[in-house]
Amino acid sequence: MNEPRGAPADGRIFEAEGVIKRFGGIRAVNRASLSIREGSITALIGPNGAGKTTFFNVITGFYKADGGSATFAGRQVLGKPSYAIARHGMVRTFQITKALARMPVIDNMMLGATDQPGERLVNVLFRPGPWRRREQEVRAQAMELLEVFNLARLADHYAGTLSGGQRKLLELARALMARPRFLLLDEPMAGINPTLGRRLLDHMQRLRAEEGVTFLFIEHDMEVVMNHSDRVIVMAEGHVIADGEPHEVRRDQAVIDAYLGGSAEPDSSDSAEEPR
Amino acid sequence: MLELLPHLPLGVTLESFTDIDFWTGVGIIAGIYTILALGLQLNVGFTGIQNFGQAAFMALGAYSMAILVNDAGMSFWLSLPVSILITIAFGLVVGLPSLRLRADYFAIATIAAAEAIRLFALNARDLTGGAQGLFGFGDDWDSVAETIEGWLSDLGWTDVPTLFPLFIVVWVVAMALTFALNRVQHTPWGRVLRAVREDEDAARALGKNAFSYKLQSLAIAATLGAIAGFFLALNLRFVVPDEFLPIVTFSGYAVLILGGLANYWGVALGAVILWFVLEGLRFVELPLSETRIASLRFIIVGLILIGLMAFRPQGLFGRREEMVLGE
Repeated sequence: MNEPRGAPADGRIFEAEGVIKRFGGIRAVNRASLSIREGSITALIGPNGAGKTTFFNVITGFYKADGGSATFAGRQVLGKPSYAIARHGMVRTFQITKALARMPVIDNMMLGATDQPGERLVNVLFRPGPWRRREQEVRAQAMELLEVFNLARLADHYAGTLSGGQRKLLELARALMARPRFLLLDEPMAGINPTLGRRLLDHMQRLRAEEGVTFLFIEHDMEVVMNHSDRVIVMAEGHVIADGEPHEVRRDQAVIDAYLGGSAEPDSSDSAEEPR
Repeated sequence: MLELLPHLPLGVTLESFTDIDFWTGVGIIAGIYTILALGLQLNVGFTGIQNFGQAAFMALGAYSMAILVNDAGMSFWLSLPVSILITIAFGLVVGLPSLRLRADYFAIATIAAAEAIRLFALNARDLTGGAQGLFGFGDDWDSVAETIEGWLSDLGWTDVPTLFPLFIVVWVVAMALTFALNRVQHTPWGRVLRAVREDEDAARALGKNAFSYKLQSLAIAATLGAIAGFFLALNLRFVVPDEFLPIVTFSGYAVLILGGLANYWGVALGAVILWFVLEGLRFVELPLSETRIASLRFIIVGLILIGLMAFRPQGLFGRREEMVLGE
């Protein structure tokens, strides 16, 4: 957490090379390679079953890779345990939200904090001073973030009583408590109403501008992908089939083929017909 | 466990019902089960690991203490921390491979490990005395008991029941442990434990080493089991394998259900209710044979538990909200 936040020399904070994940005979991720610039907002798209979430799980240590390499800020992450990767500043959220239901919202948030010496039993028993002080800071930071996400008034409610959209926001806010350098979001917009979604996107932009946080997010809403990302990476059948700026990717023949074998543009099936 | 007080006939009168010796004995057992079930509460209620081997920790604590004192000539007081370390080591040996398993497999692994310990104690006669068990380890304790008895008679109480000093010490320890666990639960460490209970992956994604926390939880449960084992040994004055049947762990779970999950103070209440109902029912006079009455007591406890599950699933002290949200 206290590492310098400077960008690596070539500006790439994350690089994956030939990542493979097999399930039985199926290669869910098949030699996927991509790189992410520090401070960018990158969308990862692709048809269902393309291996996007599996790729997330592999690079964040939740699945064991069957091949390839992935470095974050110059360090190899494949083969590292998930909690260690998160501590290095590469933090993820889940497609199916993991709100800790039987814990109050504020505890969910405070859990996300790093550098809390009170998470070690020895310190709890023998050195109460430092962690109590840290706890105060963490609580203040948590309340601040809850304000941003409109959840402050629910701070003392059990997370299990929140609506689906609120849980999604809570999970993102909780991930931010870890002060990540690289944030991986698995379908952050799904199930959130447009107003809150806007708030979330604004917050992403602000975090990028103010703290240089890098984002990689899986998203199906093409309106969001095209208007809010600097770069779009497209996966299909375990490969990365396209990588470029939004306007380039939407005209890429391979991408159009991958999405329903050639509908004019990737977004036509998603948000175009939705009433405004 | 239930045949602890064989000198008391079943189905007797009010005289026995107010017998202080009898209730002191019951109180000690309730205290021992409180300590035992605090470990289960930590595991099941706060960490979400289904430990079904608590009886083995109790057995290891009791046997280690007895063997160290009798065979190794260690002092009683030194044997206690050493026995705790032995029990923790066993807990880690069981936990290291099995805590990575899914919750239900872990439950099976722990119950198997517990039975392995009991059967080992039954058969390794040279070490454990087999079915006859071990005795003669409690001299140091006896002198402490006499001192406490002396204090009580200084206060003007002359006919102190023999087991009353043990009763006092068991409950002082049980309450101190309850208080301490409750305090520790309300720290960042306790928060991580609860997060592991709710969703291990979420905890890991936030940089918490879930496996390490589960091991710590199990090690503390082992410690509590060993302490309960010491008191059991002192209460009976001997250690035999039959005291560590799986029913001991199951009764610990009954205590949890009665008192309520995820609440440390409920544990003491659950233990007291369980044992006072079980033992108090001895005094109900019915036109039935003794063995039938003995079985009837368990039937009644079973009915109470079923009723509780139906009408108050959170137990006496648990939070209903947490039960409902647990789904």
